[in-house]
Amino acid sequence: MKENILIIGGGAAGMEAATQLHKMGLNPIIVEKSEALGGHIAQWDRLFPAFHPAKDVVEKMLDQVKGIDVRLNTEVVDIHRDNNSFHAILSNNETIDAKAVILATGFDIFKAERKQEYGYGIYNNVMTSVELEKYFRTGKDERINHPKKIGFVHCVGARDVKVCNTYCSKVCCTTALKQACEIKEVFPDAEVYTFYMDLRMFGPGYEDLYLKTQKDFDVKCVRGRVCEVSEDMDGKLVIKAEDTLFGKPLKMTLDLLVLMCSMEKNKSIDAIQQKLGVGNNSDGFMQNKDMYLGMNDTAQDGVFVAGACTAPKSLPDTIGEARSVATQVYNYLKR
Amino acid sequence: MDFGFCLSPSSHVKMDSVDLTTFNRLKETNPDINTCIACGSCTATCTAGHFTEMSFRRILLMLQRGKEDEAKKMIQHCMLCGKCTLVCPRGINIRKILLDITR
Amino acid sequence: MNSQIFHPFVLPFVLGMAFVLTYCVVGLLRVIGQLPKDDRKKFWRSLVTPKTAWANVRDLVGDCLFHVKIWKRNPVLGYMHTAIAFGWFMIIVIGHVMLFTLKPLEGIELQGVERTLPNFYYPIFFKYFAEETLIFAILMDFFLLMIISGILIAVVKKIHSKIVGVKRIMHFGFADNLIRFALWTIFPFRLIAEKTNIMAFWWLYSIDLMVFMFMLPFTRYMHIPTEALFILLRHAGLKPREPRKGYALAQIYSCPSCGLCIDACPMSVNDKNSGNTSAYFMKRLRNGDREEAQRIAETCMQCGKCVAVCPVSIESCDIKMSQREAVPYTINSDHSYLGNVEPETKGNAKVLYFAGCMTQLTPKIMRAMKQIMEAAGEKYAFLDKDGGVCCGRPMLLSGKTAEAQAMMAKNTELIKQSGAKRLVLSCPICYKVFKEEYQLEGIEILHHTQYIDELIKRGKLKVDKNDVNYVYHDPCELGRAFGVYDEPREVIENIGHLRKAKSEKELSTCCGGSLGSFILTQQERDEITTNSVNDLIFNNPDEIVTACPLCLKTFARKSPVAVKDIAEVVANQLK
Repeated sequence: MKENILIIGGGAAGMEAATQLHKMGLNPIIVEKSEALGGHIAQWDRLFPAFHPAKDVVEKMLDQVKGIDVRLNTEVVDIHRDNNSFHAILSNNETIDAKAVILATGFDIFKAERKQEYGYGIYNNVMTSVELEKYFRTGKDERINHPKKIGFVHCVGARDVKVCNTYCSKVCCTTALKQACEIKEVFPDAEVYTFYMDLRMFGPGYEDLYLKTQKDFDVKCVRGRVCEVSEDMDGKLVIKAEDTLFGKPLKMTLDLLVLMCSMEKNKSIDAIQQKLGVGNNSDGFMQNKDMYLGMNDTAQDGVFVAGACTAPKSLPDTIGEARSVATQVYNYLKR
Repeated sequence: MDFGFCLSPSSHVKMDSVDLTTFNRLKETNPDINTCIACGSCTATCTAGHFTEMSFRRILLMLQRGKEDEAKKMIQHCMLCGKCTLVCPRGINIRKILLDITR
Repeated sequence: MNSQIFHPFVLPFVLGMAFVLTYCVVGLLRVIGQLPKDDRKKFWRSLVTPKTAWANVRDLVGDCLFHVKIWKRNPVLGYMHTAIAFGWFMIIVIGHVMLFTLKPLEGIELQGVERTLPNFYYPIFFKYFAEETLIFAILMDFFLLMIISGILIAVVKKIHSKIVGVKRIMHFGFADNLIRFALWTIFPFRLIAEKTNIMAFWWLYSIDLMVFMFMLPFTRYMHIPTEALFILLRHAGLKPREPRKGYALAQIYSCPSCGLCIDACPMSVNDKNSGNTSAYFMKRLRNGDREEAQRIAETCMQCGKCVAVCPVSIESCDIKMSQREAVPYTINSDHSYLGNVEPETKGNAKVLYFAGCMTQLTPKIMRAMKQIMEAAGEKYAFLDKDGGVCCGRPMLLSGKTAEAQAMMAKNTELIKQSGAKRLVLSCPICYKVFKEEYQLEGIEILHHTQYIDELIKRGKLKVDKNDVNYVYHDPCELGRAFGVYDEPREVIENIGHLRKAKSEKELSTCCGGSLGSFILTQQERDEITTNSVNDLIFNNPDEIVTACPLCLKTFARKSPVAVKDIAEVVANQLK
């Protein structure tokens, strides 16, 4: 059988699912709205916990999808279902008939401006974790000018009812420690502080990273949430937080503040998602059937989900889900 | 088991004999009170905390560790400005709890 | 025609009337007696001061008889109420006029008591005792039918309120329902009695009147006599001091429980909270249910919309404040540390900028104000760059006046030390307390909307106009409290296009973030915010502009479009 499977999104989840389906003898078609495959991970420099170059992984994945049908710069503009097949109209006016649809639309980055008290977009020296990663990749960012004191703020846009995101974004803790080490590598003289509430080192090798951060990189972890950022006369940042372990509020001058922005649901797919009849969960991400045995299934037969469109996920989680969704789709078509 | 002797004084918080009446009373009208993650935002932003030791995070702990008098003393500095309530990532109605503690 | 001067069926009415009159006189004396001495003096003086006396006459006619304010809100309800109240008033008046035109009384020579006695009930039961001339007969029937048409609308409103444009109506207890039934049936009974002269209906009519009058003091219909007194007291410029005494008592009894404030109240988006609206608060107070009244007083956001829509102008927000003061929280505040607070800068600034606690969390506003003041070449100083002393309003809102005074005294001292002649504030919460409570002689207090408007008008600030469509949200403590509606709108017209919100100015809906409420939970506030945002984006604006840091932060959580402070928008458009 050579049935079409429509995969919306060409990031890690989309690529990996396509690879597997292709190997199973099906015909996956990736529709990607941007000009290249790879998604967020292609923008990343190195991966936690072992500083593995993201490029390696992405290149391998790209290698595997060679020969697979890919539409770049293309979006699904309309989709409807006709019994057991889906008819999708793409933004290039092409129509695709598919037996199943995989939503691999991933996430958006929380817009740091929404936490106005952190001063992103107001003060020059406040940047996001994504921008810092770009700096590591390209070596260029005019905000980074031999900083002497650097701060990382955890949980920006996560675990925060005031921005309506009550969930934990899962990867920011580890990313913050990874980036703290990396910036220390670039500026060995700098003092680096991270402001955390809980350090969630949940995966293999993550705790080792934490240990390394403390032992080898001398990154100072302060338990407390930054609540206000302002600028002093010299244009330096002044932050306020409570050092909750010491039990006193502290004030500190910094040259650079990095906001660990959370993952949010990618809302650009909302219209198509609605047409497919897939709802959202209480965190605003897509609702899968259940989180154990039905993590790739949705309320609609033939519509599957994989990766960070259902919740914040790390790269290994996403790849695992992408592989499992391929099996699910295969079984669905064979039934 | 009582061995007939022990050393005193002990600096431990005696969790076995902590009186939680006030905390439990607060919990009834403010169920959010249990959701504090002790992030310290309230303390860091506190207008009165700029000049004094005022810390809502610690007040909550004091109430759960048998230091109600200390908590009540700390509350005296509060200006009720509401900044703590505005920044709390758990959406706890801090101002209301502060007022309820002494009611 | 029955040529006699008395029939036993008038007795129920006479009894009822005597009761109600006695009760009203006692009540009047009680209210005036409960007024503090200086308030009482103010009251007497207002009665003879030409300006207030004229206002009294105007409102007594306009509000008590014609219900101008209800007409403005909802013409159908306006007609309903005018038809019943004005119609009833007219048949009483015409009844008396007819009495005087009737000479001699059907040939019966009356002397002494006999001459005055019929005056009490003749106008009420006129047709039984005498015959009117044609013109009076037509007039009387006209007004009677007018009343009945009003009652018909009332019945419709009771059954299906949405037809008359009212979403939520009040739920009443047995007494209120009974007296309403009595009221509704008085006039049909009278009409039937007059047209058929069946004795039973004269009795029913009279008994209905008695029931109505005996129940009047214990139900919402007490507003009929009380409103007149309330109008006089209000024009005397009094403030409610105690929640159930004096001026407040007059207001409690003046509340007609019409329920217009229920739909207006932002809390009503959640049906559960529509019981926490002013109409219910007043009812609780009237019934002496202190605990519930206190709870509602503390739930209220003090946005003042209920006062804005109230057809009787009941100052429910003030009464709720006096209720809070009556049962204050018992923190033994110790603000002695304020004594050690010293200003960091002493200088010769002309303008002193006080950002306020909330603005510390919205650095965009502070930065924008800095840019604006610098662009305008103003000599300014920043009073609370690194955090200041709270303005005192939140403390006042909790009912603790003395404690608030301590903070106000400290700020007054700091402001006076600065030597500035103008004080610019970014937070309407601060603005309200600075305007109302602070004693800052010689220092002009401005909110930044007014300040920016003035800078633009005086040509000190040059701005570019862009193509963005803005909608302006009136913060409660700036708009309804001080009528600052035009300045921000004029500023916006200078920098872009202004779109209208679904309800704005005095009807603007609270953002839901208000410091006024102590009890509302985050979730309840969110519902209010969503509703308010929907009101604002009704005409598809590109951006929401507000002038309060708290509104800004509250809206930003729920708004699908960008939310900005007016200072920020102006700073972006500086030439």
